[in-house]
This record gives sequence, structure tokens and C-alpha cells, in this order.
Amino acid sequence: MIAEVIFWVTVGLVVLGALGATLSSSLIYAVFFLLLAMGGIGGLYVYLGSPFVAMMQVLIYLGAVGVLLVFAVMLAGPFWLRPKERGRFIKVGLGVALGTGVVIALYKGLRHHHWEAGPPHVSSAEALGRLILDEYPLAFELISLLIVMSILGAIMLGLLSKGRGKGDAMG
Amino acid sequence: MPWDDPRVFQLLSLILLGCGLMGLASRRTLLGMLISVELILNGAGLNFVLSDRFFHQPFPRGEVFTLFIMGIAASEAAIALGLILLIFRRRQTIDEGKLRELRG
Repeated sequence: MIAEVIFWVTVGLVVLGALGATLSSSLIYAVFFLLLAMGGIGGLYVYLGSPFVAMMQVLIYLGAVGVLLVFAVMLAGPFWLRPKERGRFIKVGLGVALGTGVVIALYKGLRHHHWEAGPPHVSSAEALGRLILDEYPLAFELISLLIVMSILGAIMLGLLSKGRGKGDAMG
Repeated sequence: MPWDDPRVFQLLSLILLGCGLMGLASRRTLLGMLISVELILNGAGLNFVLSDRFFHQPFPRGEVFTLFIMGIAASEAAIALGLILLIFRRRQTIDEGKLRELRG
């Protein structure tokens, strides 16, 4: 009983976070709604029997990406200089039409299919590690290379943006 | 139990995709668009894990791909934020409507 209540609350948090991250007119609130949705998805990973991925979700998304986004919002100028998030009416209408259209079209496909669900199982970190290093070592190494390159690229961009351009208030 | 039904999770990841597309089309700043892309990636990760749990394979391949998605999302966020800060320092704006040098 209590597990069901927690499950539905988590689902509600994910939906609320997704809608808030999309529709909120302030960027920093959008970031916090996004963090809410990501934390809720971490909780759902536990219900799906993959605690390791849930832990990684909290570490990577809530920890790393969340802090990055909050810092970017703070560094990207004072909020009164930013453009209004609510764009022209036609853009918002186009966005709502696109989102709901895709959801309705794909849901129609999902609804008529009978899904054969297997028994629940919990996957261990050991199985994940064996699978990564035995079957997908190339992808694993390539992603490591990608992360190193992106760190170097971020440092390069930070150096490039130092003290250039007109009216640079940050020096 | 409600979490033994794959359709709840499928609908949820579909909602995440829809919200991400909605934000991607309607946001005006680059940061808002980046937030929407993160929503879409989260929906994709949820979909991988649910297919791994319900359409039972002997090995958790879907979770491995979710971990790969997380790595790609983290590096993408780092690069995108570096670019956004560079653009902001040079132009004093992150409004995507004002960045139109590459328009044909």
C-alpha cells in the first residue's frame, strides 16, 4: 500500500517536473523543475529493479548536470536582461501542438499492442560491469574519449571567452 | 502492482518526449532549449530501462545503454554550457532569435 502511494507520488513528481521545466517562465525555476523530474526518474529506476542506474542518475544528473545548469543560469547575465521566455504566441502554439501531437500519435500505437511483461528481477552492478567490459568495450572506451574531449573543449571555450568582445563586463 | 505494467512507464517516457519537444520548439533562450534536450534524453533512458525490465533478457543491456546515454548527456551539457557562456560574453544575449550569422 505505502509502496503504491510512493510510486504514484513519484510519477506525479516526474510529470509535474517535466511540465514545469517546459512551461515555467523563469529559467532558474525551469532548472529546478528539471531536477525534480530527474530525481523522480531515479526513483522509478528503483521500481524497475535497477538500483545501480538509479544511483548513477542521482550522481550524474542531479549532481553534475544540475550544478552545471544552475551555474550556467547564474553566469548567463542578470535575469532582467534576458529575453522573455514566453515567446511569440505562434511559437508556443507550435510547440504545444508538436508535443501533444507526438504524444497522441505514439500513444495510439502503444495502446493497441499487448505487452508481455516478464517477471521482476533486480540487476546487479556486477552483471552491468561484466556486460560493459565483455560485450561493449569499444563503446565504453569511445564514451570515455568523448568525455575527455568534451572536458578539453569546455576548457578551450572558457579560455576563448575570457576578455574578448565589446562591453565585456566580466573582464 | 502498478509498476508491473509497462504502459505506465511507456506513457511517462512519452510525456517526457512530448514536453521536451514542446520546450525545444517554444523556448527562446539556448539554456531553455538545453533543458528540453535533457528532458528528452531522460525519457530515452527511462525507455531503455523499462524495456530491459519487462521484455526480459538474460542480460541488462538496456541499463548499459542508459549509462552510455548518461555519459553522452553529461559531456553534451558541458560543451553546450561552454558555448552558451562564450556566446553570452561576446553578444550579451542568449536569445536564439538574435544569433543569425549562419542564416542563408
